[in-house]
Amino acid sequence: MSIEKGKISSQQLFFLIAGFVEASALLIDFTVGITEQQTWMVILAGLIITTPFVLSYVALAKSFPGMNLVQINDMVYGRFLGKVISLYYIFFFSMTLSFNIRDVGELYITFLMQDTPFIFFLIVFTATCAYAVTKGIEVLARISHLILVTGFFAITSTFILLIDQMDFSNFLPFFELPLIRIFQGIHIVSSIPFGETVVFLMIMGCMNKTEHAVKNTFFGLLIGALSLLFVAVRNTAVLGRTQTIWTSTSFQSIRLINIGTVLTRMDFVIGIAQTILIFFKCSIFLYVLVVAVSQLFGLKSYVPLVLPLAAIEVIIAATVFQSPVDHATITQNAGIIYSVPLVFVFPPLALLIAKIRGLPKVERGKGT
Amino acid sequence: MTLLLLIFAYIIIVNLPGLIKRKEWKELAAFSLLYVIAFALGLMYVLDIPIPSPMEGLQHFFVDILGIEYPQG
Repeated sequence: MSIEKGKISSQQLFFLIAGFVEASALLIDFTVGITEQQTWMVILAGLIITTPFVLSYVALAKSFPGMNLVQINDMVYGRFLGKVISLYYIFFFSMTLSFNIRDVGELYITFLMQDTPFIFFLIVFTATCAYAVTKGIEVLARISHLILVTGFFAITSTFILLIDQMDFSNFLPFFELPLIRIFQGIHIVSSIPFGETVVFLMIMGCMNKTEHAVKNTFFGLLIGALSLLFVAVRNTAVLGRTQTIWTSTSFQSIRLINIGTVLTRMDFVIGIAQTILIFFKCSIFLYVLVVAVSQLFGLKSYVPLVLPLAAIEVIIAATVFQSPVDHATITQNAGIIYSVPLVFVFPPLALLIAKIRGLPKVERGKGT
Repeated sequence: MTLLLLIFAYIIIVNLPGLIKRKEWKELAAFSLLYVIAFALGLMYVLDIPIPSPMEGLQHFFVDILGIEYPQG
C-alpha cells in the first residue's frame, strides 16, 4: 500500500520536473571551474546522455503503477536486497537535501546577509520546507508552475538586461580543454541537475494517469535544461574567462547590470528567485526522504517524521562540509561518484529484471 | 541551547498528542527513534562536539582507499 494518498496529473509532473531541474541553476558553478567556456556544451551533452536514463525511470514507474521506489525495490530485488538498495537511496536523498539546504545558507551568508548566524538560515529555510511537505505532494504540484515561471522570468529577464555586455567571442576556443575535464563536467551535470530526477520515482506512483508521462517528463527535463543553458551562456558571454574565479558566477554577472544607472544591483532578483527555486527542490527532496523512510518502516502516515527528519537535515547541512571550497571539492569527486549506481544502474536494471521476471503481474498473481 | 530545547519541545507538542490519541504506536516508535537521533545531533552541534561528516568519509573511501578521483586543476 502506498503511503501517499494525494494524486498529481502528468501535466503537473512536467512542471515539477522542469522546476526541479531549473532549481539547480546555482549548482552550475561546480562545473564552471572545470569546463570554463565550454559549460554550455557540457550541459547539452549531459542532457543527451541522461535522457534515456530518465525515461527509464518513467518506464519503471509505469510498469509498477501506484508504487514508489521503495516498494519497487522490494518487489524487484527481494525484501533484503531491496531494503539495502532503498537505504542507499535514503542516504542519497538525505545527503543531497543537506547540500541544497547548505547552498541556501552559503548563498545568504556570502552575498546577502553576512552578519547573520549560518544556522539561522538553515533552520528557517528547512522549517519552511517542512511546512510545505506536511501539506503533501498535491500542494507542491499545484504551485510548481508558479515556481517554474518565477525562475524562468528571473533567468530570461537578466539575460535580456545583460545582452549589451555580452561578448560571444568568450566562447572561443572550442575543444581546448583536456578530455578528462570535459568528462568530469558531463559527469557533474548528468549527476546533479539531471540525475537527481531519480527522486521522481518516489512521486510518479502518485500520478492519476500515466498516459503522457513519458512526453511530459521529457519536456520537463528539456525546459529545465534550457534554463541551465541560458544561465551558462549568459555567465560565459558576460564574464568570459574570469567566471572561473568567482564563487557564484550568476551573482557576479547580475551585478554588472546597469541600465541608465537606474536598473543596477539586480543581484537581489537572483537571490529571491534562487531561494524560491531551492525551496521547491528541497521540499521535493524532503518529501521524498520522509516518504521513503516511512515506507521503509511500514508506517501509515509520513507526517510525524517530517520535523525530526528536517531537524536531522539541518544539523547535517551545518556540519557536512568545512567550507564552500570543501563543498565544491567533495561534490566534484565523491559527491558525483557515489550516486552513479543510484542514478544510472539500479533503475534501468530494475526495469530489465521486471521485464524478465514479468513483474509485477507474477507477484499479483500470487496475491501479494 | 535554549533555542534547541524550544525547537525540540515544539516538535514534541506538535506530534506526540496526535500519535498517542490515534494509538499509532508504530509511527510513535519511528518518530521517537528519529527524534532521539535529531536531538543527539543537535546537542552535539550546540556543545561543539565534532560530528563526523559522511561525505568526508566517502571522499576518503573513494580517493584514498579506492584511488578514484578526477585530476585537480
